Formats: sequence, C-alpha cells, structure tokens
Amino acid sequence: MSTFNLEIVTPTKLLDEGQVEHIRCPGLDGYFGVMASHRAAIIALNIGEIKVTQNGKNHYLATSGGFVEITKEKVELLLETFERAEKIDAARAESALQRAEERKVAKEIDTSRNEASLLRAINRLKVSKH
Amino acid sequence: MANLKDIRNRIKSVKSIQKVTKAMKMVAAAKMRKAQERMEEARPYANRLEGMINHLLPDVNREFLDLLDVREVKRVGYVIVTSDRGLAGSFNTNVLKTAQNDIDSIGKENVDIFCIGKKARDHFKRRNYNIIESHTDFWNELKFNDAIHLGEGIVSHFTKKHVDEIHVVYNEFVNVATQKIQSELLLPLVFDGDEKQIVDRLYEPNKEDIVKSLIPRHLNIQMWKYLLESFASEQAARMLAMENATENAQEMIKDLTLQFNKARQAAITTEMLEIVSGAEALQN
Repeated sequence: MSTFNLEIVTPTKLLDEGQVEHIRCPGLDGYFGVMASHRAAIIALNIGEIKVTQNGKNHYLATSGGFVEITKEKVELLLETFERAEKIDAARAESALQRAEERKVAKEIDTSRNEASLLRAINRLKVSKH
Repeated sequence: MANLKDIRNRIKSVKSIQKVTKAMKMVAAAKMRKAQERMEEARPYANRLEGMINHLLPDVNREFLDLLDVREVKRVGYVIVTSDRGLAGSFNTNVLKTAQNDIDSIGKENVDIFCIGKKARDHFKRRNYNIIESHTDFWNELKFNDAIHLGEGIVSHFTKKHVDEIHVVYNEFVNVATQKIQSELLLPLVFDGDEKQIVDRLYEPNKEDIVKSLIPRHLNIQMWKYLLESFASEQAARMLAMENATENAQEMIKDLTLQFNKARQAAITTEMLEIVSGAEALQN
C-alpha cells in the first residue's frame, strides 16, 4: 500500500510520525479518511478521535480540534492538543466529565464553555477504551 | 573603629547572601533556556496558522467574524503580563509604569484590566483600578492550557462587547541583556495580508468556517507567545539582577575584609603601645 508522510504540529512540539497508510479524522461535517496522493486541502477538525494506520496497525489519538493541511509532500495535523489513546488518564477524564456534568446541572458559568469541556471529556474517555 | 567581632559577623552574612544570589542566578539561567526552547517549539504551529489566515482572509466576508469587528472605542481592556515574584530588577516596574501611563491617559474609569501575575494584581488592586480577572500562581508550571484558559476569558469579554479594544502590555524577550516593553493591540485582530494567491486546494467545510475556527486558535497561540516572552524576559532580568547582586556582595566582602584587617592592626598597635609605655613607666 502506498504511504505518505504524516506530521503532527502542536504549540508545544512538532512530531514526525513517519510514513503512514491512512488516517481518519473528525471533520466538522463528520469523519473522513485520507490516503496517499490526496488532493491538496485544508480541512477543519472537530473534537474527536483520529485513527492513524501505520504498518497495518491502528493508533488512536484524542484531539480537541484543529486542522489538517494536505499538500503533495505530506499531511500535517495542526492540533491545539492531542493525546495518544494509551496515554490517556481515564480516571482524570472521568472526573473532568463528572465536574462538567455537575456544572451543567448547577447552570453555573458559561454554558458554551462548559459544553466544550464536557465534549472533550467524553471524547477522551471514548478514545481511551481502544 | 568598629568592633572586630561585628565585622567578622557581617562578612559571614554577606557571604551567605552571595551564595543565595549565585544560586538564584543559575536557576534563572536554566529556566530562561527552557523558555527559549519552548518559544522555538511554538514557532512552526504559529507560523502555519498565520499563513493560513493570511491566505484565507482576503476571500472571506469579514462581517461574520466578531473578533475582527472594529467598533467605536468607548471602553478599553488591558491585559498586563507580569511575574508572581520580584527580585528581577526593573522587570515588573517598567511594565506597570507603561501600563499605568497608558491607562491613565484613557481614564481609569474606562478601562477593564486583566492581571497576569501577582505583581500586576497587587499594583492595580491597591490603586483601585477596575480589575476583571487576575491569574496568578501558574508560572511555575506553565502549560498551553493556561494560555487557552486566559484567551477564553479575554475573548469573551470582547465578544460580549464589554470593551471595544483589547491591548496587551508585556516584556518582549530580545536577548539575554535586553527586554523591550511592548504595548500591542490584541483585539480586534488586524491582518494586512491582501495579496490573493490562487491555489488549487479543497476547503472543508468551507473557507468561512475554517477561518471561524482558525481565529480563536490564533489568539490562543498569541496569548501563549505573550506568556512565553514574558517568562523568558523575567528569567533574563532576574539573572542579570542576581549577577549584579553577586558582584556587589563581592565588593562588600572586599571592603569589609579591609576594614577588618585595619581594625585588627589597630588593636595590636594599641596593645603594643600599652605594653611599651607600661615597661617605660617601670624603668623610670
């Protein structure tokens, strides 16, 4: 299977993931896949899970959103934050979820801000189950 | 002439102060290097976002973007970046002075202040300025999440139209010896990229939505940059201050040692004189 170069760029580091066969990303309108020789594109990402297929193996990342920039040479994931499935602290995500739900019931503070942290916690829990 | 014992004690205490300042200098140097590395690491991400914005913005109808909204300026927000701790020379004083001058020229009743770092909070609280939020005690473990958190509060203050402009006052890290005070306009965002480039590219879901999610992220990275610049400057300023302190202590030790030796000699001379004059008295 033909492969392409994947890079993950965040505010705190730049990671070269090497050659991968396929990635699946959470677009704003739903999940989509990218394979080698994709057309050049910029696609906005939602909170969700990114699946990376490398050497026939799947890896999962939880992200709080960002962009994917596809060029001829490589694919770049511009992510504000991301966590690898195996490194997610499920207990911490669980407690974040609980806190967000309590705040939702109590109708404190900014609802949109709380909604976002709720979604992030749910997503991290989901990805950590892989 | 001062007492010999007193001088000896003073030399001892100056020496121990010198040890502390030397250690602080070394710690500050290490932290500064770390901060510089983080500034380097943030650059690729920041550059790519900026590139995308400049590339997309000419094609997008700006009216839908509330963060680009230029309004008549009635109230102004100020974000003031200082440190939690002192002992860094004129690092905090300069920022606070610049900020206060700016704010007073507008009139303090028309300004909302976001304080970052204890020094800013204490300064403006004491003078009864209008503080909206203050963030302290995060410098030791500076994380990108802090920037996001700060950014959210500041942006929502602007989008809710509490203020019509937001300025940031911070120390820019030029190099180890120089830090420059900067007062910048953060919101509404201004972009000057006007040249249209035609690239055969796919935009999902569309350019407007991409720009809409780009701009808040761009602000977050901007906040992150301010924090890192200020942190690196703080450490550099502290390093210099501590180096000066160490040198001064050295000077003081030199002076005190001289004084000590003089006092010692004087004491010996007096003693000898007493013995000699005693002996002479006996002879006579």
